[in-house]
Amino acid sequence: MNRVRLLAGACVGALVMQVGVGTAQMKGSIFGPGTRSYPVAIAPLKDLSGPLAEDVGPRFADIVGRDLTLSGYFKILDRSAYIEKSESSGYTVDSINFDNWSVIGALALVKGGYTVQGDNLTLEVRLFDVYQRRQLTGRRYHGSVTELRRMANKFADEIIAQFTGERGPFDARFAFVSTRDGKFKEIYVMSADEGDLQQITKNQTINVSPSWSPDSRSLLYTSYKRRNPDLFLIDLISGRETLLSQRPGLNLGARISPDGTKMAMTVEDDGNADVVVLDRSGKVLRRLTDSWAIDVSPSWSPDGKQIAFCSSRTGSPQIYVMSADGGAARRVTFSGDYNTSPAWSPKGDLIAYVSRSEGEFNVFTVKVDGGEPRQLTQGARNNEDPSWGPDGRYLVFSSSRLGRKKLFITDVTGSSQVQLTHGGGDDSSPAWSRWLE
Amino acid sequence: MGKRLLGMVVVGLLVAVLGVGCSAKKKGEQAGTEGSNLGEEGLAGTGSLEKYKAGTLGAGEEGPLKDIHFAYDSIDLDETARGILRDNGNWLKDHSGARVEIEGHCDERGTVEYNLALGARRARAAKDYLVTLGIVANRLTTISYGEELPLCHEHTEECWAQNRRDHFVVASE
Repeated sequence: MNRVRLLAGACVGALVMQVGVGTAQMKGSIFGPGTRSYPVAIAPLKDLSGPLAEDVGPRFADIVGRDLTLSGYFKILDRSAYIEKSESSGYTVDSINFDNWSVIGALALVKGGYTVQGDNLTLEVRLFDVYQRRQLTGRRYHGSVTELRRMANKFADEIIAQFTGERGPFDARFAFVSTRDGKFKEIYVMSADEGDLQQITKNQTINVSPSWSPDSRSLLYTSYKRRNPDLFLIDLISGRETLLSQRPGLNLGARISPDGTKMAMTVEDDGNADVVVLDRSGKVLRRLTDSWAIDVSPSWSPDGKQIAFCSSRTGSPQIYVMSADGGAARRVTFSGDYNTSPAWSPKGDLIAYVSRSEGEFNVFTVKVDGGEPRQLTQGARNNEDPSWGPDGRYLVFSSSRLGRKKLFITDVTGSSQVQLTHGGGDDSSPAWSRWLE
Repeated sequence: MGKRLLGMVVVGLLVAVLGVGCSAKKKGEQAGTEGSNLGEEGLAGTGSLEKYKAGTLGAGEEGPLKDIHFAYDSIDLDETARGILRDNGNWLKDHSGARVEIEGHCDERGTVEYNLALGARRARAAKDYLVTLGIVANRLTTISYGEELPLCHEHTEECWAQNRRDHFVVASE
């Protein structure tokens, strides 16, 4: 395995400070994702350290803009329309000519400046309400120049917090399976703007089911590289890889418990798939299911007390919930004859899953306590593999709506669905990490 | 496949099959192994994964044992499948030294993990039937490839039907 220098930005020295915060007036109730109605201008950051080859200013603006677009709440105004130029203007209430921004239709404005000294980047950025001519929030970040992307993702999350009352989900990483580099399914990670893309596996066999450790530092995945589908863990900072489980047959779809102490995984005994709980070294602690039917795809509740999984015990695959200590399982899906891929929301209230009807696969959510499912995707070919963002308000999923499978992000209502990955090959089985800290 | 070539292929796969057999453990036992890199060396290239790597999967080359096929989301052996399994069983009786790896496959529709579990059951269904025909169970190993190694890549029922299969790889004779 190549040494992976991933998450270099995870060891962020980025010191975060509030810079003169105003109180946000606009909370989520006045608009929702999907309307894309809220026009925001994001000015390239002003270079305060003299002319450098660095393109920090526009890059920061690009990444923030990309994240805000993914959120579904915002329309990013085209930079070529901006009248006030960063290099010849300030980024305080007193030094901004708000008329220059209201005339192009901006209701919100992001402006800031940065200095680069050696490898160090200091960046100060502010969000303004153009109509009220006041600052809503501001942040100062210090760190390595390689941490620019994380600073942008953090500020995008802060902007979303200002407008919705809850932190955005983009200071995180995505793991996924892709055939972008050839016919083999390999595992990749990237940030929300498709930046920092890293190929994690390169074994030219079959690699499936990546999932994150709760500290967003390591990935679990199942690989056929030793011919049997075994479970591996890779530490993305050190690049160190460990074979955790090599039982004959499936060692599939392992998920680490929220407290980081255990794993749930599908194993196979004589052709029959069951869900077990293992310790972090791969030793089986207990068997959760022992039915004649297929039992797969465990997903932990955020408190670690329960596990959702998929079982065919009634003859067709359905979603069930049971105690992580074992015992009886409770069925939570009752419509449709093919319900798979449960993903328990980090807020705890919903389970996302995939359901087949009329030859199409779509993403749904259902309340853990039961009730009517909510359909998030429809009429757009196959939509599968839901994984929740760290905020519990967004999901990433794979969709074949454009032909090849690509990843998309949706809010929990399904009203905003934005393409996350582009380019060649099929992208599938996304796993959205928790927030990086 | 010529007998001499088969013999050569067999040596490698025997290593693989015995390797899999040896690592079989009872429930509850699991040793974590540190970064070991065993595996692909020593495997001859007739399994579907090896064919896929070589670019020959679906190229039509057949072993002595025929594939069986399944309905969507089903592990049931229909009369056609049972007839093929009886032929395969007779071949195994005539070649009493042969060991076989049974590969379970699915079509592309549905969930990767569920299909891997479904493929395991399809392989197991064929193994159980062969055992009822008198084939000793330890001559038969199983592996699931789920929807990962389709023979046919079009999104049509005809194609899907080809992909929902058990494939039989003769490992040693």
